[in-house]
Amino acid sequence: MATANMLVINPLARAVPAPENERATELPVEIALVAAALAGDREGFGRLYDLYAPLVHGILLARVPRAEVDDLVQDIFLHAFKKLHTLRDSAAFGPWIAMIARNRAVDFHRRSRQTVEITDELRGSDTQESKAAEILELIRDLPEAYRETLVLRLVEGMTGPEIAGRTGLTAASVRVNLHRGMKLLREKLTLTEGL
Amino acid sequence: MNDDYLWDKSGEPDPQIQQLEEILGTLRYQPKPLRLTSRRKYIPLLAIAASIVVALLTGGLWLESQKTEGSIPAVAIAEPANPKINPPISVLNRTPKTRKRVLVRHDRREALAAKQQLMFALRLASEKLNSAYRRTQDKRSSYENNLPN
Repeated sequence: MATANMLVINPLARAVPAPENERATELPVEIALVAAALAGDREGFGRLYDLYAPLVHGILLARVPRAEVDDLVQDIFLHAFKKLHTLRDSAAFGPWIAMIARNRAVDFHRRSRQTVEITDELRGSDTQESKAAEILELIRDLPEAYRETLVLRLVEGMTGPEIAGRTGLTAASVRVNLHRGMKLLREKLTLTEGL
Repeated sequence: MNDDYLWDKSGEPDPQIQQLEEILGTLRYQPKPLRLTSRRKYIPLLAIAASIVVALLTGGLWLESQKTEGSIPAVAIAEPANPKINPPISVLNRTPKTRKRVLVRHDRREALAAKQQLMFALRLASEKLNSAYRRTQDKRSSYENNLPN
């Protein structure tokens, strides 16, 4: 029932930080890695990259053309490496880099001219990949909060608790976004198949 | 509907979600090594710098050749008395250096024009470099201003 109420009251909740007890168990490792990276340990930062690159990739994939995603992932981690000293709470590395990725996607659209990506992506010779590109387009048409959580769940293969732990959102918000996003996606898929 | 599978992959698998996972999994992040240097930003600057270096080298070579030719006195330019009728053996046996002397006036005009073009190209390249540098700085500062912290 609590979930049902949440659906009505706060369907697009995404700015609500998760309480400490809802964060994923990997936080102590994350804190140690941030501390190591701040002390100049590049390998420590490399491990943070390994942990969080799929998250950043998913956030970008939900917002920018696929061809740009890999370069942007690198740019974002390079920026994070340079600005790591500005991160006040080492435990908040995930939410911090997720926010950088979202801002970078907004920045990308502000700077670049409007391009039509569909042609390039749908002309792929691989049928599975072109199907994936079609479905990704449907997901991108969903509201922002739904599309991000759905991409992280269906493309990157993260579970709901993992998404909550790494983005800093509450588990309840992620669950709501997944449930409602999936419902909308099913409707769109049914419509597409009916055409 | 029970959405446990959607939430944490537990419970009874949903066939449609499984199918979506399989198809969309082709777009999943593929691990790549992290590079901690900004490659893309420096490519235009490197290209501009390289073209300036090439221009300077060309200019240096040209100036060097001018010095060599400038040491030849203008009065040394002389045509044979009547080359059509009776070309002297010395003309027929001209060394490359002698032929160069005959052409030196024409060469000088061309060289002057080339020098002016080169100077213009250098000024243009310098302006472009300054402009590119300013643009990079502007973009960087606006990008950093838009980021949290």
